[in-house]
Amino acid sequence: MRFALSNEQRGFAQALDDLLGDAQVPAVSRSWADGDAATGLELWKRLADLGVTALCVPESHGGLAAEPADMVVAFEALGRHLAPGPYIESAVLAPALLTAAGGGPSLDEVASGSAIVTAAAPPMTPFALDADVADHVLLVDGTTLRAAQAGEPRTSVDRSRRLFEARPGEPLGSVDPVQVGRAFDAATLACSAQLLGAGEHVLATSVEYARSRWQFGRAIGEYQAVKHALADVRVALDFARPLVYGAAVALGDDGADASRDVSAAKAAASAAAYRASRTALQTHGAIGYTEEYDLGLWITKIRALTTAWGTVGFHRARVLDAVTAASA
Amino acid sequence: MNIVVCVKQVPDTESPRKLKSDDNTLDRAAADGVINELDEYAIEEALLLKEAHGGEVTVLTMGPDKATDSIRKALAMGADKAVHLVDDALAGSDALGTSYAIQQVLGRTGFDLVILGAESTDARTGMLAAMLAERLGVPQLSLANKVEIDGSSITVQRITDYGYDKVEASLPAVVSVVEKINEPRYPSFKGIMAAKKKPVEKLGVADAGIDADKVGLAGAATEVVDFADAPPREKGQIVTDEGDGGAKIAEFLASKKFV
Repeated sequence: MRFALSNEQRGFAQALDDLLGDAQVPAVSRSWADGDAATGLELWKRLADLGVTALCVPESHGGLAAEPADMVVAFEALGRHLAPGPYIESAVLAPALLTAAGGGPSLDEVASGSAIVTAAAPPMTPFALDADVADHVLLVDGTTLRAAQAGEPRTSVDRSRRLFEARPGEPLGSVDPVQVGRAFDAATLACSAQLLGAGEHVLATSVEYARSRWQFGRAIGEYQAVKHALADVRVALDFARPLVYGAAVALGDDGADASRDVSAAKAAASAAAYRASRTALQTHGAIGYTEEYDLGLWITKIRALTTAWGTVGFHRARVLDAVTAASA
Repeated sequence: MNIVVCVKQVPDTESPRKLKSDDNTLDRAAADGVINELDEYAIEEALLLKEAHGGEVTVLTMGPDKATDSIRKALAMGADKAVHLVDDALAGSDALGTSYAIQQVLGRTGFDLVILGAESTDARTGMLAAMLAERLGVPQLSLANKVEIDGSSITVQRITDYGYDKVEASLPAVVSVVEKINEPRYPSFKGIMAAKKKPVEKLGVADAGIDADKVGLAGAATEVVDFADAPPREKGQIVTDEGDGGAKIAEFLASKKFV
């Protein structure tokens, strides 16, 4: 398979990079973590104006009905720039579930960004992200989609991920297990793309740091051990990227192997981004741990996303099952 | 209202810019091309005027094939169509030649209002709007940080060192804008997809009725005879504070006539 981004996808990525690059997102993320959502919600609106929240919504509800590859482009940018908020839940998971259930919060409002939806989907996603800020909370209860309320807060290693228990409310409709699976796959793919973007960011930051930080009379990037560690991250990200885009194509084609491909993408993107974050911390040394230095925001984000939407172990097992079932 | 925005693709200001050693012209292939930053404000202003008064926004660019990327971005922001003047004969044109070529194209497209950025980040002559207005025989309203249109009259606030001048003229006219005028929009997914289907007319020198002798490097009235890299920054002077640091700083500032 040959896959390259179209001019339009590159243009969309550029527009998102430009907007997010100008938006001082690390400061937005810090405020979000402290419970002040004002700037985060403003950013949500601006990203909605660019179409991020409408990508996965059908055209009949004011959406863009875009391809999963377009969604991946958007979420890689969100990951690279650290945008806080339940983007996966509102822009990817909820449109799939609400379309399938045929009821619940208005998809038109989700598409326009005027309503923010979050969701818990146990056992993989037991808590609802940012449920205190979202307008609607959903709970995937087996094959029943329910409205829910924000319950007890839970902590995440990523302070900008404000998790809440979801207290079940009235049922909104039933969803076919295959469609629940597809919604979960799409959300997992979005998470993989975010990891890829976050990994790219911490690698770029580390390379820049290794060039400018001098020790023993030369830039630390001149030392082979540092060079090799960063090159290994480059390789890991470059091997994860085709899996993420391959899974997007498979999901767009509704292929029989789409779930396997999504799992392969998540496992690879998690491992690559996690390696990127560990190497970034090591390259930076003590400054990397510093609260005031933004790198830590990405490192904790990557740690949280690595196990969100299924751990690496879960996804590797899914790939193994698919491979052994095919050969049996 | 027929609004034409002149857009130039320039080397990305983030990347190092070079002149070619053979003919002393800008090496456009060596750097990534982006829309000249001030032109984005011109596009935004055209779109705002269209939203307020109706009409159509045409993007006009003169440049090599790769300027197509900049045209696509302008169309994705919301412009309706584009004209791309592209011909090897135009390479190396100076401001006089460029203004002549654009005048010829504007003769074909027609216009009520031509909007330009006040200058480009590569050549930085800031003369094109004035030359174009002169050639077209219409008023020039330069350095606008606010544009208002009422029927066939146009009023702009022209920024000055001491505040602004209020300048009025009647349409058709040429306006150049500064970055204080608005905040250019980012292209949306919808806009980017819609841009794919918008018409881009490619014109060569002959199509536009341009006399090839008046443009290009050979037709240029000005010539870059030599260039040199900026000298490396000199090492700063380090003053050790021995209780008189403040006085030394004041002395230095006074020697440079800052205080």
